[in-house]
Amino acid sequence: MADEDAATVKEPLDLIRLSLDERIYVKLRGDRELRGRLHAYDQHLNMILGEVEETITTVEIDDETYEEIIKTQKRMVPYLFVRGDGVILCAPPLRQ
Amino acid sequence: MLFYSYFKTLVGKEVTVELKNDLAITGTLHSVDQYLNVKLNNVKVVNEAKYPHMMSVRNCFIRGSVVRYVQLPPGSVDIEILHDATRREARG
Amino acid sequence: MEDVPPPGTALVEELDKLLMVQLRDGRKILGILRSFDQFANLVLEGAVERTIVGLLYSETPLGLYVVRGENVVLLGEIDESRDPPPALQRVPESEIRIAQRAEREQEKIKKTMKARMDFLDFID
Repeated sequence: MADEDAATVKEPLDLIRLSLDERIYVKLRGDRELRGRLHAYDQHLNMILGEVEETITTVEIDDETYEEIIKTQKRMVPYLFVRGDGVILCAPPLRQ
Repeated sequence: MLFYSYFKTLVGKEVTVELKNDLAITGTLHSVDQYLNVKLNNVKVVNEAKYPHMMSVRNCFIRGSVVRYVQLPPGSVDIEILHDATRREARG
Repeated sequence: MEDVPPPGTALVEELDKLLMVQLRDGRKILGILRSFDQFANLVLEGAVERTIVGLLYSETPLGLYVVRGENVVLLGEIDESRDPPPALQRVPESEIRIAQRAEREQEKIKKTMKARMDFLDFID
């Protein structure tokens, strides 16, 4: 019975419960994306992710030529608490 | 309460708080409250040259709502406990 | 279940101290904390705004200020032995306004250029 309970999806956050201990993709405000293992979350979508890769996309303007330069910065963080109010969406990572 | 309880276990440890305005502050976690406001002691601002107003600040209070991330010290994360607490919290 | 302190007591230790309050619009206000509540609404006595441009700064007296909590980014306890930071040079208010205007002009130019480029991308 308990197992059945754990596997049923009745509301959006149940889907996130099924991603516990899985690698997920999180899109955040401010052109930021995270890929990491989900260790904890709550109803605000505050989360703790492990082995996190953050990707930041920025558009800069060259001082001389005024050309647009689109840059993506990446960095790794071992463990990260993410505040839920910045989260746009969560998804299981695409399987390659 | 999950994250409030978790952050309480980090008191005394060094964390880096990254704010929504891109300011990043490393310091010793002094306290946390239920809004996830945090107080840091002996702060050091990452990229200090860009934020000269922080040069005379040693201890600070950060409003929870302006936090984007907190980088956690690796040794302090007990994954099993977090998973159990999350499942309990999800059940409501 | 847990020993939760009463809400809004986090700033008790900061009462009657000189603080630097950073607001969401980037402004910095210094003053002595006389009162606060659970939203981090603040009462600051003898408040001054510290405007910093590069390594120049100036201070504008404001008087008694009530700051709405949602605009507060952080409160820093000022270590008076390190304040004002030796690296900064105090200039009159008029001078900082000129420096501020120049800095804003520069940013505006960048923004207009970006808007134009975005428009060109759009019609492509």
